[in-house]
Amino acid sequence: MNAARGSLCLKNVTVAYQGIEALAEVSLTLKPGEAAALIGLSGSGKTTLLNTCNALIQPTNGAVSIDGKKFSEMSSQELRYARSRIGFIHQSLSLVPNLRVIQNVVSGRLGQRSFLGGARDLLFPSTNVVEKVYEVLDSVGIAEKIYERTDRLSGGQQQRVAIARALFQDPLILLADEPISSVDPVRAKATISLIREICKKKGLTLCVSLHNLDLAKTFFPRLIGLQDGRLIFDKATETVGANEINKLFNLPDGCIDFGPLTSKPSMLGKSLE
Amino acid sequence: MKDHLIQLYRARPKTNFVRLSLLVMALLISYTWIGGGFLSSNNSIIQRTENLERFVGELKPYELRGESFNIYSYLSWAKTMMAEKGWQAAETTLAISVAAIVLGGILGNLLAIPASRNFASNFNRDHLNLSALLLAGPARLLLIFLRTIPEYVWAFLLLSLIGPNAWPLVLALALHNAGIIGKLSAEVIENLPDQPQVSLHSTGASRLQIMLTAVLPAALARLLLFFFYRWETCVREATILGMLGIVSLGFWIQDARARNFYDEMIFFILLGALIVVIGDVISTLVRTHIRRIF
Repeated sequence: MNAARGSLCLKNVTVAYQGIEALAEVSLTLKPGEAAALIGLSGSGKTTLLNTCNALIQPTNGAVSIDGKKFSEMSSQELRYARSRIGFIHQSLSLVPNLRVIQNVVSGRLGQRSFLGGARDLLFPSTNVVEKVYEVLDSVGIAEKIYERTDRLSGGQQQRVAIARALFQDPLILLADEPISSVDPVRAKATISLIREICKKKGLTLCVSLHNLDLAKTFFPRLIGLQDGRLIFDKATETVGANEINKLFNLPDGCIDFGPLTSKPSMLGKSLE
Repeated sequence: MKDHLIQLYRARPKTNFVRLSLLVMALLISYTWIGGGFLSSNNSIIQRTENLERFVGELKPYELRGESFNIYSYLSWAKTMMAEKGWQAAETTLAISVAAIVLGGILGNLLAIPASRNFASNFNRDHLNLSALLLAGPARLLLIFLRTIPEYVWAFLLLSLIGPNAWPLVLALALHNAGIIGKLSAEVIENLPDQPQVSLHSTGASRLQIMLTAVLPAALARLLLFFFYRWETCVREATILGMLGIVSLGFWIQDARARNFYDEMIFFILLGALIVVIGDVISTLVRTHIRRIF
């Protein structure tokens, strides 16, 4: 058994859709237990990068590997197992709305179950499973919602269900794509802090893409800047300078700070004229 | 301001598609009217009126023809008709329709699984890979085959294979409706929001697991709606298919017509209509309920 559990390595990864490069020659390594925030404008390739990390997108060039093993060299069995140990919290809510919370959380572990085993967990979960779900829901603060229908919960609570589902997978790596895009700023901070705490406690490797620069700076020791599919910087948060940030968001030096950036500044500039 | 609006109006994007199709439609109507043989008829208006009067006269029950109108005698006549043939025929019609839709629903929904391209492509977003075509293609062809052959033809073929009992009708309706339900269900499955499916796929869930966890709950309400809608149709079709010789309502309609008993014929036609209406009402109630609870 090698010591590295939950390391993630991208080597010269290029992803092209119909000739347009969404990612270009990106290389980076996350050590087990490390936490990094992925920042950049919309369309800079953050989602694509995260999707290559759980083999949802195959890179056109280059290779992604987990604990030293390349996705492209895995058998479908191995790939299924690898995926089952990568938690992914999606941008838009990816829960099944008319299932109960417990059923959505249980569905996170399907990758490790047979068809019948999964069906049993879903329809007639054993006490053991129920208790484990309760525990996970408790850790995200919505334990009492366990038997509620998922679409009856608020957006913030649903986001927590999604986090619980990812945690129920018992992952080694947790990836999150804009996990706070559907919650208000106060909850956003609480959510990010929660994800960060849990990963710290369990020693999970964490990579989160964020629009909100402040949150990224506050909670993450490492920042990865993406622009037009290219890696602009990848270093410890305190060493990232203001000019690098400005360059990343296409702001000329000394421009107004837009705070959490949600669209290209050039467009904002136009509407101000 | 006004000039500007007029200018914008003139510059609006327009297509001649609607105008052109209206013109084509008008031409087609006049062509069929003139060329279709609707205008020539050997019967004069007077003759037609006479025919109609005689027909309406024969709709009155034969036993009651001499008497003056009395609702009780009509009711007792209807009662005898029901006792002789009506109840049994209505029961058979209903039984055929229920058996047919249950079989058709099971077969159709099972075929809908491989026929939906997102399942076939293992819930990868790009739907055009080879394995998807190899799975969804044949499944879809089979569904097309099942539904392009009309119930009536299926029943006719099966009747000569199985012999004269209710099964040819049940199977005919089941096969045709499996084709329709399979197609509709596959469309529903393909058009579901794919986020939950993709996210489960990304955690290593197999496609059958995704089907059970993400697709079935989301699609169930609509699948049930189609199921009950097709049941309505089955009730209607089970009536008509009796004309092939199986003792559902259609058989007695055909039988009465052959013997020129128009009073009996109209009675069974109305009974059939009543059954269809009852079927519609039940189906509508169930569907409203389904919409409310999901």
